[in-house]
Amino acid sequence: MTRTTKPDDGGPTATPAASLRFDAVQKRYPGNARPTIESLSIEVPAGEICVLVGPSGCGKTTAMRMVNRLIEPTAGQILIDGRPNTERAPADLRREIGYVIQQTGLFPHRTIAQNVATVPKLLGWSTDRIAARTTELLELVGLDPEFADRYPAQLSGGQRQRVGVARALAVDPPLMLMDEPFGAIDPITRERLQNEFLRLQAQVRRTIVFVTHDIDEAIKMGDRIAVMRPGGRLAQYATPAELLLSPADEFVEQFVGADRALKRLALGRVRDLELEEPTRVRYGDPVAGVREALRRAEVPYPLVIDADGRPLAWLDDDDLHGERIADGIGSEVAVVDRDDILRDAFSDVLQHRVQYAAVTDHRGVVIGILSADAVARELAPPGPAPVQPAEAHHGTGA
Amino acid sequence: MSLVLAQSGGFVRDRSAGASGQDACVARDGVCPSWIAENFDRYVEPLQRHVLLTVVALVIGFTISFALALLAHRRRWLVTPIVQLTGILYTIPSLALFFLLLPLTGRGFLTAEIALVSYTLLIIFRNVITGLDGVPADAVDAARGMGLTDRQVLWKVEIPLALPEIAAGLRIAATTTVGLATLAFFAGAGGLGDPIYADLTFKSNVLVAGGLCVLLAVVLDLLVLLAQRLLTPWTRAATA
Repeated sequence: MTRTTKPDDGGPTATPAASLRFDAVQKRYPGNARPTIESLSIEVPAGEICVLVGPSGCGKTTAMRMVNRLIEPTAGQILIDGRPNTERAPADLRREIGYVIQQTGLFPHRTIAQNVATVPKLLGWSTDRIAARTTELLELVGLDPEFADRYPAQLSGGQRQRVGVARALAVDPPLMLMDEPFGAIDPITRERLQNEFLRLQAQVRRTIVFVTHDIDEAIKMGDRIAVMRPGGRLAQYATPAELLLSPADEFVEQFVGADRALKRLALGRVRDLELEEPTRVRYGDPVAGVREALRRAEVPYPLVIDADGRPLAWLDDDDLHGERIADGIGSEVAVVDRDDILRDAFSDVLQHRVQYAAVTDHRGVVIGILSADAVARELAPPGPAPVQPAEAHHGTGA
Repeated sequence: MSLVLAQSGGFVRDRSAGASGQDACVARDGVCPSWIAENFDRYVEPLQRHVLLTVVALVIGFTISFALALLAHRRRWLVTPIVQLTGILYTIPSLALFFLLLPLTGRGFLTAEIALVSYTLLIIFRNVITGLDGVPADAVDAARGMGLTDRQVLWKVEIPLALPEIAAGLRIAATTTVGLATLAFFAGAGGLGDPIYADLTFKSNVLVAGGLCVLLAVVLDLLVLLAQRLLTPWTRAATA
């Protein structure tokens, strides 16, 4: 198969994503009484992230490694775009499947550019094409091109993992395998990388098999989640929402956790909620006018914005005296992006004195207000018995 | 031993050489700068021979050990027997080995090389294996997962990453061989052992021949080190 990957700005890619199917795949190791994977059948539509999640020993990594034939199944087959992956020599097959692992697997003796160029070079790309693609990829994963000539040891863990992703995307593979790619990274960087990766995936739309033991990560990253139990048995294969709303059995329920209502916050985005309208004011506005506007407002605090509409500060009653609003007064505003996931936004809201957050668009302009109440309402499970928001509040406070 | 010594008569002390002022110094078996200056060219041929003995032993020893290591890298069960075999070779006293080989290969270069090569095997083999074992497993896994063939994984990932360890083995082997090659004289293969054993009591002689040995060892060591540094630029990159 020849690739016609054109340098693009992260727009729609030239190679279509592949669909993937596990068809009654079984893996037994000689000498083990129980199979590592009993019989796994799942289907991953093209362009989706399928997360394999489960406790250690559930066979999730084994399942993933059978896709690019690092491990061969004992029975059953794996189909990529409907064709068995055994049709082609393992090395040829693997060159068209992106591969990212937890310890990054970067080559310590190769520069970042050389690492990223690994598969293009194997496929015999021209030097010019490789150079152009490398620059493009580093940009795509948010790395300064000046890193190109450094060695992996000169990068931080987070930066190395970005290089790992760039390297896996080099030839724009229709399918990618990611084995706990963010597992060895500190929680703050991990969250940033997860968000960046989701943004990236929205652009490149690859089919991805993503292995993790962390159910929160599974819920955040997955379009579909395969919960596996020890012995390689599939406990449930569902969308994150289905998994949280109706776990198939006790094992899944326990694995998903008692706080699954709260976990649903990881599914929603700020933009999905109904936002409230703030009372926008500027420093120097007449106080009387502000008090008048506030009487009709949903949010009881005026929000000071700058000339471009970006949030500056909350004002409260004590700030509203004198003739005009004094420069620089007010308290700090929690600012969340409309694309942030609800869980992160909610935690920002709770950390501030005023339990409202200003929601901004990509330019930083205020487009509405997110309240703790609105999040609590979202938490109330749908169904005939309405749960009081107060109860949800209670739950979140615990 | 006396037999061998008698056969090495090509290098007898020439006390008559030099100005009369130096005769006293030479007679005392002392360190005589002007004697050394005048007779230095007599050491050139043994030095060249010594370099040849050492370099040939290292090249052959490295080739055999490296091939054995690559073989054992994929077939782990071979490691133990190879280490045992080369270990036995390593423990045979070199003089004994020369005399054992004499009836088979006679006196000369070949006998000396067989012994010298034998002593490099264990050192280089063990270092190559250690180097290959020390390659990060994740780099190998990633390489395979990206579609490098086994041969490509070996030559593009494992061997380059094992280079520092391989070079370390080569350096030890080089210095060891320079020292052992002084005994090649007992096999009738020449080298700096010739002048040394010709007159062990004459300090000027021992100093020059011994000094050349040390110099040769240092030069070889630096050459391997230099080659390693040129081949492994990543090891010097500052860590973040």
